[in-house]
Amino acid sequence: MIQVEHLKKDYQRVKRREGFLGGLRTLFSAEYETTRAVDDISFHINEGELVGYIGPNGAGKSTSIKMLCGILVPTSGNIKVNSLIPHKNRMENARQIGAVFGQKTQLWWDVPVIESLRLFRDIYKVPEAQFKRNLNLFNELLDLHEFQSTPVRQLSLGQRMRADMAAALLHNPRLLFLDEPMIGVDVVAKERLRTFIQQINRDQKVTILLTTHDMGDIEKVCSRIMIIDHGHIVYDGSLDQMRAKYGTQRTLVVEFEEAIPDFDAPHATRVKSEGRKKWFAFNRFETTPSTLITHISAQFPILDLAVEEPEIESIVRTIYQGKPETVETRAG
Amino acid sequence: MKIFWSFTRQAFQFVAAYRFNFFAEIFLILLRMYGVYWVWKILYTQRPGAFGVDLQQMITYGVLGMALEIFMWSRPQMYMARQVKSGAIDTDLMKPIDFHVHMLARSLGETLVALGVLAIPALAVAYFLLGVELPPDIWTGTLFGISLGLGYLVLFHLNFLLGSLAVVTLDIRHISWAYYSVVRFFGGQMIPLWLFPPFLAWLAAALPFQSTYYIPMSIYIGNLSGAEAIQAMGFQLVWLVVLVLLSRLLWSWAHRRLVVQGG
Amino acid sequence: MEALRLYFKLIRISMQARLQYRADFIMGILNIIALNAINLGMIGILVYRFVNLNGWEIWELVFLYCLWLLGHSIFSLFFWHFWELEEYLVQGTFDQFLLRPASPFVQFLGREVQYIGFADVFVAATGLALAYVNLGLHWGIVAWLFFFLVAISGTVIETTLTLMMACISFWTGRSSMAVDLIMEFNVLVQHYPIDIFGSWFRVVVTGLIPVAFMNYYPALILLDKLDRNSVWWLGYLSPIVALLLVGMTAGVWHLALRRYSSSGG
Repeated sequence: MIQVEHLKKDYQRVKRREGFLGGLRTLFSAEYETTRAVDDISFHINEGELVGYIGPNGAGKSTSIKMLCGILVPTSGNIKVNSLIPHKNRMENARQIGAVFGQKTQLWWDVPVIESLRLFRDIYKVPEAQFKRNLNLFNELLDLHEFQSTPVRQLSLGQRMRADMAAALLHNPRLLFLDEPMIGVDVVAKERLRTFIQQINRDQKVTILLTTHDMGDIEKVCSRIMIIDHGHIVYDGSLDQMRAKYGTQRTLVVEFEEAIPDFDAPHATRVKSEGRKKWFAFNRFETTPSTLITHISAQFPILDLAVEEPEIESIVRTIYQGKPETVETRAG
Repeated sequence: MKIFWSFTRQAFQFVAAYRFNFFAEIFLILLRMYGVYWVWKILYTQRPGAFGVDLQQMITYGVLGMALEIFMWSRPQMYMARQVKSGAIDTDLMKPIDFHVHMLARSLGETLVALGVLAIPALAVAYFLLGVELPPDIWTGTLFGISLGLGYLVLFHLNFLLGSLAVVTLDIRHISWAYYSVVRFFGGQMIPLWLFPPFLAWLAAALPFQSTYYIPMSIYIGNLSGAEAIQAMGFQLVWLVVLVLLSRLLWSWAHRRLVVQGG
Repeated sequence: MEALRLYFKLIRISMQARLQYRADFIMGILNIIALNAINLGMIGILVYRFVNLNGWEIWELVFLYCLWLLGHSIFSLFFWHFWELEEYLVQGTFDQFLLRPASPFVQFLGREVQYIGFADVFVAATGLALAYVNLGLHWGIVAWLFFFLVAISGTVIETTLTLMMACISFWTGRSSMAVDLIMEFNVLVQHYPIDIFGSWFRVVVTGLIPVAFMNYYPALILLDKLDRNSVWWLGYLSPIVALLLVGMTAGVWHLALRRYSSSGG
């Protein structure tokens, strides 16, 4: 579906100089500096995948997505979406992709949603039967009929997102870009949108690339995750693999029958104590929960225990910082 | 005071960051000066007596008016309208400084930068190319300076009143078009008020707008001098006081409305 | 043609959008009428004091002003949003054009409609009618055809010039000052007959920023003021100038798109 090989993108910007005199100098002569926004990235995405695409701001996310949409021309490298080169076949590519931007709606602001949808139907040349079928689908899955006659500016954020989803999928694109679609949306609406995304991915085999800062989205929705930072892909694989590889630290939470003084176990560090509970952090490769439990219970009677996994968020944060070994677990 | 300087610095950075804009704006002022220069020059050849002053004074008046167009550059009313629309006005209101003073400091900073960076260079060019005159003596120059300051303050408060209106209900985008025209016209920015036909001249005399351009510029070219000048400046002062009072009244009302309605 | 159909569909939705704001509309109309009244008032005062402006009588000046305004009004009715191009680039609206399987140009053209432009149409038509009567003009079929051609050319000239200026935003941020500068030539040409200005100005508004073709040169022909200028016949070239500008604009737009797709804005 998507093939990206050795993709690079450079930008040239005017260098801003600091201070009063600097400002004066900029007035009369300007220097340019080149930024490499995307630095030799390669990846393949197969049809039907639901990929989470995350990275800090300025990492190269939107640049790479713009290249996939054909909006931006790469500096070098190969890029193919369903055998089409996006920037060379912009219009053709446009027919097979859809996009939802969390920050900005695709719909016309002052007119009822359905008017915008009708116009999209015309622009994308959607056959009437297909149009009606999709509207029914949206009515069913997104409750579109509840607000389709309302102008977009009067919609709540959740409704607006749903409307944008409908607009993006109206022409049955093979590939869907979701750029932070849940930003500012409340928990209930978020859950609903997540379900919807999974449904269309599953039922209609729509390939989805989801950009987000919300780890909840990643955990609940994506099967695969790509992390981009400073223009490089620093991770590309499944969530479980990521946990296994980077989330080496797990935590054993033990509740004892009575309060006991602190102690350490082999290959484990006591990181926290509260009342009768103690938290033991250990490396998954150095020891196992059962070993630890055996050791601990031999010394003190245990009331209850639990094993905590590292948080995706802290894993990602660590990957951003380039230190995969030290990942925190939830404490408390 | 510190706030004022920070606004000034901000304004300067803004101009410096967009150097293409900066040059374009200087050329714009020069072009306007050019336009005025030729209009008066042609008309003078047609009917020299109708001016009431000599050609050089007339040209000076016109050119000065175009340079002082930068007074319109800082637009507190647009700032206020924008802030209310985006909701950002709350942050302004939370600052430990009187909003009125805040707006004045901001406007003053921006205007000073515009004066220094745009108006003065343009006037310098006009002095050499178009034969603009300097004030006849220090005394006139000083009076001009004071009168100009008063004129600026009057204009600021007119803008502030408009901005307060924007804060409450009206979308001032459309009113702004007519508003600027009215200010320029009755302010005598291009056509001095003594050329107005009787009815319009009478109307102009009753309105505050002449304080902004007409009075300072007439003083500058010497058309208003001595007792007349002092009287005119008194007129400016009276209007300034009235406008300041109106501003504070309208603003406090608008402020209350904002707080009650939640922006 | 495909693009034309799309354009009309876009216009339709833009009009629907505008209709939502009725009070706004009335305010805008009133203000524009006031603005034009003041402009004409200024010209009136000058004539009141000086009898005429370089041989142009009051009704001739009104004609000059309103002929310009006619072309301008149609431009502002349909294409006033060209000034928003900068915002479109910054806010990502332009990216949305590129995401759709349609010409970004047509989408941009049809993005908005400004009903308020009607106010200018009204003022222009009224002024021209009054001038026609007061000057005792009697146009034949040919003159009338020429007049309509001139009006359309005027619209095209202003539209293309504005678009080219707006495209500056593809290269540098904030093109509004450059637009203001060009528009200032436009303003001067609107208010005054260019024969009062120096020769370099006339060269600029004839050869470089040909706004003089919107009103001045055609007015020389339509008002039979052929003695004013040795090149009075330039008025006949207005449509040619308009076409040339269309070609130039197409080129500039093409370059602008190329620039955008390589630097992303």
